[in-house]
Amino acid sequence: MFASSWLILLFPLLGFIGLSWYGNCIPKKLVGLVGCGTVGASFFMTLVTLSNLLLLPPEERLGQVQTLYQWVSAGSFKLDLAILVDPLSVFMFLIVTGVGFVIHVYSVGYMHDDPEYSRFFAYLNLFIFSMLVLVAAADFFFLIVGWALVGLASYLLIGFWREKPSAVLAARKAFVMNVIGDVGMVIAAFVIFESFGTLSFVDVFTAAPGMFRPNDDTVLLITLLLLVGAFAKSAQLPLHTWLPDAMEGPTPVSALIHAATMVTAGVYLIARCHVLYELAPYTMYFIAGVGIITAIFAGSMAMVQYDIKRVIAYSTMSQLGYMFLAVGLGVYSLGMFHLMTHAFFKALLFLAAGSVIHSLNGEQDIRKMGGLQKVMPVTHMTFLVGALALAGFPLTSGYFSKEAIILSSYHAEMGNIVFWAIAVLAAGMTAFYIFRVYFYTFVGGLRSPGAHPHESPLIMVVPLAVLAGLALLGGLLGPWVDSFLSPVFGRVVEHHHDNLLETIALAAGIGGIATAGLLYMVSKDRMSLIKEAMAPLYDLLSHKYYVDEIYDFLIVKPTKAIGVFMEQKAEREGLDFTVDQIGLQVKEVSRAISLWQSGKVRTYALNMVAGMVTILLFVVFM
Amino acid sequence: MLEIATVFDFTRDAVILVVGMTAVLASLGVILCSSPIYSALYLIGHMICLALLFLLYNAEFLAVVQIIVYAGAVMILFLFIIALLGGKKEIQENSFHRSMAFTFVFILLGELCLSATVGPTRQVHGEISAEMFGTAKAIGLELFSKHIIAFELASGLLLVAAVGVICLAKFSFAPLRRRVR
Amino acid sequence: MGEQFVLLISASIFCVGTAGFIIRKNPLIMFMSVELMLNSVNFLLVTYSSFLNSLDGQIFALMIMTVAAAEVVVGLAIILTIFRTRHDMDVDHIDVLKG
Repeated sequence: MFASSWLILLFPLLGFIGLSWYGNCIPKKLVGLVGCGTVGASFFMTLVTLSNLLLLPPEERLGQVQTLYQWVSAGSFKLDLAILVDPLSVFMFLIVTGVGFVIHVYSVGYMHDDPEYSRFFAYLNLFIFSMLVLVAAADFFFLIVGWALVGLASYLLIGFWREKPSAVLAARKAFVMNVIGDVGMVIAAFVIFESFGTLSFVDVFTAAPGMFRPNDDTVLLITLLLLVGAFAKSAQLPLHTWLPDAMEGPTPVSALIHAATMVTAGVYLIARCHVLYELAPYTMYFIAGVGIITAIFAGSMAMVQYDIKRVIAYSTMSQLGYMFLAVGLGVYSLGMFHLMTHAFFKALLFLAAGSVIHSLNGEQDIRKMGGLQKVMPVTHMTFLVGALALAGFPLTSGYFSKEAIILSSYHAEMGNIVFWAIAVLAAGMTAFYIFRVYFYTFVGGLRSPGAHPHESPLIMVVPLAVLAGLALLGGLLGPWVDSFLSPVFGRVVEHHHDNLLETIALAAGIGGIATAGLLYMVSKDRMSLIKEAMAPLYDLLSHKYYVDEIYDFLIVKPTKAIGVFMEQKAEREGLDFTVDQIGLQVKEVSRAISLWQSGKVRTYALNMVAGMVTILLFVVFM
Repeated sequence: MLEIATVFDFTRDAVILVVGMTAVLASLGVILCSSPIYSALYLIGHMICLALLFLLYNAEFLAVVQIIVYAGAVMILFLFIIALLGGKKEIQENSFHRSMAFTFVFILLGELCLSATVGPTRQVHGEISAEMFGTAKAIGLELFSKHIIAFELASGLLLVAAVGVICLAKFSFAPLRRRVR
Repeated sequence: MGEQFVLLISASIFCVGTAGFIIRKNPLIMFMSVELMLNSVNFLLVTYSSFLNSLDGQIFALMIMTVAAAEVVVGLAIILTIFRTRHDMDVDHIDVLKG
């Protein structure tokens, strides 16, 4: 029934292979068509799979493992080339292929003038394929394969403009951070195989509850190691530094990889392994704690950034923190729901920002923008929708998902007032910084006189409108998501109602919007006044809490010093010297010896006779 | 009065001595003449001496072969080549190489002479009758029965050599480039 | 004459051949020296065949003659080719293989 689900993975792979082989020989239009068409076909197949799944009764939707063939069978170790079709993976398919398709269409317009158009689409297709491998994996092995592949695709796309040194550095940084996570994942897989004897999700999750008591050492180890991977991929503290730098890539990439899909892989991982995590409440608590700290940490940094994409990037970190809070509290479907709405409105914000950047010829500094609402009406409206959704304005999608998480942070089993307070504070910050960007960008007068902003072409505007519709109305899908995902998580999530807390949270959001309006709409004097009063704090925030500097001091500098020392002493004076001397001496000796090889027959004959005489000495006298 | 047989043996020994010494002298002539044409002539003489010695040691067939193949065919080939390339004289100068060569060769000669003091050889009795020994018939019987494989291989070798020589002589090669130092 | 004499004659011829090969520069004469060495060994084989009353030695000598003939033919062809390309009859000048 689900064998055709393989096609979901196949299309983007074919697109990638085709575009990377023939991308330079086919016309540009066809490249765009292939790039979008494969993802679109994949989305269509996802819809087919979804309808198939919906035809089944809910309890039969689990554990549909589609095995293509057995790849490895070595003793007790078996590895199938298989995908798992269940509500969770199909849910992720929908987001990846759906949002991915919209962003592909947008890229056709955005990257239109890039000389390496086909390489871009090849990479994008590779990314979609990798992400699908990640979410379709039926065992930890292919999960890691997909995990590493999306890391590679992210590296390639961040460093897409390879002539830009900062982009290449950012790509490297992202790759290194991701590899730290990969190592954690690989070790986790080893531990899982050691304790369960299998890597298959179904087997592991069936066996786990009978094998471990809650908070067993092994299960804590496994969950924490998996968490290293999740944190690295989802840019949670302390492995978050790569995400803001990753904004060096083209904007569609930021929207697709660094907002909608790849960075949410950590949330997906925890939701997928929720059986294990429920056996380790300590880890859950840790996840929730890190999530909420990241949310406020990133939110505070976003308040002082001037790069439009960086603000949204920090906002992504912050929203990911909310998702981690949700899954850490055990309300997985809320986390997944926020993942979905976030994919909609964050992709929308990035694409709208991309549209702004596009029309200002690459300008990313919000101080040089302003007054764009008149020249770019569609972009303005869509950005506003995205901003409202992000700020959690009532009836937008963000409102439903975020509000539910904030309420759960108090009402869930592990929730408490501290989580709730920080979550509300972070929500206020979110509203503040996104409207700060909004007011800077779209309201007032244009601050860079030379620019001639214009509305983007239709092919970029239509995806914006689609995403805006989703961001606006996606919240209505909440109950459906809950019921669709409930077989996976084994229970229907409780929705709490608490008028007081809801009102406070709402007030925080609207307060944030209002503060931003007051500060940036009215007068410049007030802002500089506040800036002076809060100078140390401002400094701290605008330097991103000096995390990069701390890492530099703690890890990079000592490593470099050791490297320089080793290079000077061990390498040059030790190894190199030895190797060089061996080479030189051999050369000298062989130069001396090579005098014997005169090339003259008679000399050789003489030497032969001398040897013969010597041998005969033994024959005669012994 | 000496017996006929003793006289005959004595005469034979004397002839062998004379012919042997001649062979050695002829070989000295080969290497000491400065002109290749003289060397070749001395070599022919040397080979005739050897053929005589073969005869004296009851190897009629080989003696004939020695004359025909060596002194005839091979030496004629040498003479042709000399005629083709021109027999330039070679100046013999005393050098370190030359003295080293003589030193080693004399030591070699000494060693070989010392090794010549092995005891007398035991005859293999009754293998070949005295009148048959060394005749073409005896050699033929031996060659085509016991040593047939060696014989066939030798024929193959000659064929290969013939083909190789044709290749070498027929096809011209590009001149070697001297290495520039 | 006895075996001692035969051995001495053979050793002398062999040494003369060796010396010739080393001291002469003309490749033709070097070839003749090689022939001398081969002949000395042939002589030894034939005489000892007579002493042992066994024909194996003579057969062996016959084979050596065959090989020598082939060798001379090929060798002379090589000398001819070298001379055609270099116009030079001094083996000391042929040192392409110098290390």
